[in-house]
Amino acid sequence: MRTTRQERRRTLQRSAEARVPPAMRGPVALSILPALVLFALFFLVPLGVLAVTTFARWDGVDFAFTGWDNYDRLLSDPVFWKSVRNTLFYCAASMLIQVPLGVAVGMTLALRMPGWTVFRTVIFIPFVISGAAYALVFSMFYNPSYGLLNNLLGPVTGGTRDWLFDSGTARWAVAGTFVFIIGFVVVAVMAEVAAIPAELLEAAEADGASLVQRQLFIVLPLLRNIIGTVILVRLLVDIGMFDLVYILTAGGPNDATTTLALYAYRSYLHGQWGYANAVGSVILLLGATLIVTVRRVFRIGERAL
Amino acid sequence: MRVIRTVVAATTPLILTGALTACSAQDGGSPVNAAGEIEITCATCQESTTDPFLQFNYEAAQRFNEAHRGRYRVVTLRHANAGSGEARLPYYQRLAMANDLPDVFQLNSAEIESLSSTGRLHDFAPELAADAEWSASFQPRAFDGLSGPEGQRWAIPQQQDPVGIFYNRELLAHAGHDAFPTTWDEFESMAADVRATGTTPIALDGDWATILMWSNLIGTHPEGAAFLADEIATSDDWSANAAVVAATERLRSWHTEGYVNADAFSGDFQNAASKYLAGTAVAIPNGPWFVKTNLRTSQAAPGLYEDTEYVPSPGWGASEQGLIVVSGAGWVSGTADPTRLEAVEAFVRFMSSTDEVVEQARSTGSNPPVTVPAATLAAAELEPLSSGLVGRLPEVALTYPHARVHAPGGIDAAWKNLWPAYVNGEIDTAAFLSRLAADSAVGG
Repeated sequence: MRTTRQERRRTLQRSAEARVPPAMRGPVALSILPALVLFALFFLVPLGVLAVTTFARWDGVDFAFTGWDNYDRLLSDPVFWKSVRNTLFYCAASMLIQVPLGVAVGMTLALRMPGWTVFRTVIFIPFVISGAAYALVFSMFYNPSYGLLNNLLGPVTGGTRDWLFDSGTARWAVAGTFVFIIGFVVVAVMAEVAAIPAELLEAAEADGASLVQRQLFIVLPLLRNIIGTVILVRLLVDIGMFDLVYILTAGGPNDATTTLALYAYRSYLHGQWGYANAVGSVILLLGATLIVTVRRVFRIGERAL
Repeated sequence: MRVIRTVVAATTPLILTGALTACSAQDGGSPVNAAGEIEITCATCQESTTDPFLQFNYEAAQRFNEAHRGRYRVVTLRHANAGSGEARLPYYQRLAMANDLPDVFQLNSAEIESLSSTGRLHDFAPELAADAEWSASFQPRAFDGLSGPEGQRWAIPQQQDPVGIFYNRELLAHAGHDAFPTTWDEFESMAADVRATGTTPIALDGDWATILMWSNLIGTHPEGAAFLADEIATSDDWSANAAVVAATERLRSWHTEGYVNADAFSGDFQNAASKYLAGTAVAIPNGPWFVKTNLRTSQAAPGLYEDTEYVPSPGWGASEQGLIVVSGAGWVSGTADPTRLEAVEAFVRFMSSTDEVVEQARSTGSNPPVTVPAATLAAAELEPLSSGLVGRLPEVALTYPHARVHAPGGIDAAWKNLWPAYVNGEIDTAAFLSRLAADSAVGG
């Protein structure tokens, strides 16, 4: 394994040397310098600050290193674990409902049935609405006094329910606001389907494969790369989910909807900046783990054909 | 390659230093402008079409500039956190860290308590001590929540309001009641009658309005006033106080009995206000500014203002009605520069002058933090509903601060998070009050 890596590095080095003539290396290095400086200033420095301050008690005024105290506290903090569970719940909702639904709709629309362009536009519109505006709309939708949901369900359930502030339904109500926003998945899938060589599908049709068989056994496997990518994008959004929950419930009731990002923000508001950064480091770690896992599972980047 | 290394080595520190210098705060620079005036910055003096307090401050700052032309000048800083909101404190904390606080701005009591720990707030105690007349002009308890443990005066009070309950006389009469109840038992009896008519007895929001009623229930309890004045700040377990337990359980029962609007957990005051303004709720607790900001706007149902009365809170026993009396907010200063402080002192004196506090009362509905001669108030023709409770203060048996004044700063967020779970029966009273105390302290 090590030999392979070394060989790959040498190959890359040789190919770089071949591409950049020696006389040009100075100007090339100079041209990427501003980007490097900005990267260091706005990414590496904050990352370093985040990493260092997770080992400190810091409220913006007083700063003292406290070793692993913040991480010890995280492990025994029930609200933190609730936040982890809630964040993973939202991730699961995206993976199990939003993405499959988006893929199914995208594959169907890619068949270009009558009216598909209108349908695609209608589905895509919610995606471009800001999260804050969406949250406000849904806070009215779920309102127990005048909300549409209670008006629709009232005749069936015989009463009203405060969907957002009942611990039994709050998390589902929050997830319900975003799992049906499938515009991005639909458009990405449609673009990928359009890139599948028509000969493949024609050959399958000539061999007697039905439409469903062609979709399930030819199109769907070829969407592996894009499905992995949209799952990755969705998970990264869900791991940092903040505005939707903040506006809808502020994390309540009894932290039933709190996410890691919201919990970090609350800790920051409470002057526990070191602890907030420890939560932030968990978000980073979780994000990195999910990226690696999804890339491996879906073999993102490897050619399907 | 060596050339590149040299360039990188030379430019990187320069760029970083330049960026850091640009980001760092500067408290220096001459406070005297080209016209020879001492300039001070005000972070809560910006124009606003939605916040009557900000708009009043803006207009007052212009009057100050006019009155002190050639000597002092207030320069307005505009920013999104000027009014209120939970992002305001962190914003000023960051400025305090950078030693870049505005010369003058407003904070509420919880924010003052938190920001004073930075050591960047000016203590007005020496100026007040040096001028007995100015110091004596403030209402009793005007500095509640604006002071430090060693006698510091971190802020000059902005207002002092009795906070009562607005109710709709017509809706109450429709339920068979001529007057607003004076005891909690009568209140609950009235609420049951009102509910039977299909109207909501009291509109609450799960935050400000709900905590107002909690404060009223505690404050009018025979053992409750001491809790609001002191124990709420020092005790780490509020479930040990019998008055607080009784008040909390009574408030919860209003939800379970259906005396409160169904959407009483959102934390959005406008949810509660809309019920009252639409004429579907009989009562709502709030300060006198409610008249200006809600009742006298187009949101209110026609004739609602005329049907509204503003009364003290009922009590646990007969003749034990109560009122929350709260300063709540004040003018603070973040400068240590003696020249600027001279202008700051002139400004806060100007803002607490009789003319300005009366003008503030006219513009916002808030009541003066200083004693104003009755004749002056009468001549000012203040809005009668807003100013009505001030006249009733002497006849009310109990006055007490709002729970927010002395509670740790995190009480609002903790309440919003825990109250729905408590009302829905997920946690019991002892657990709710213990966690409320603990979470409020963490947030403070």
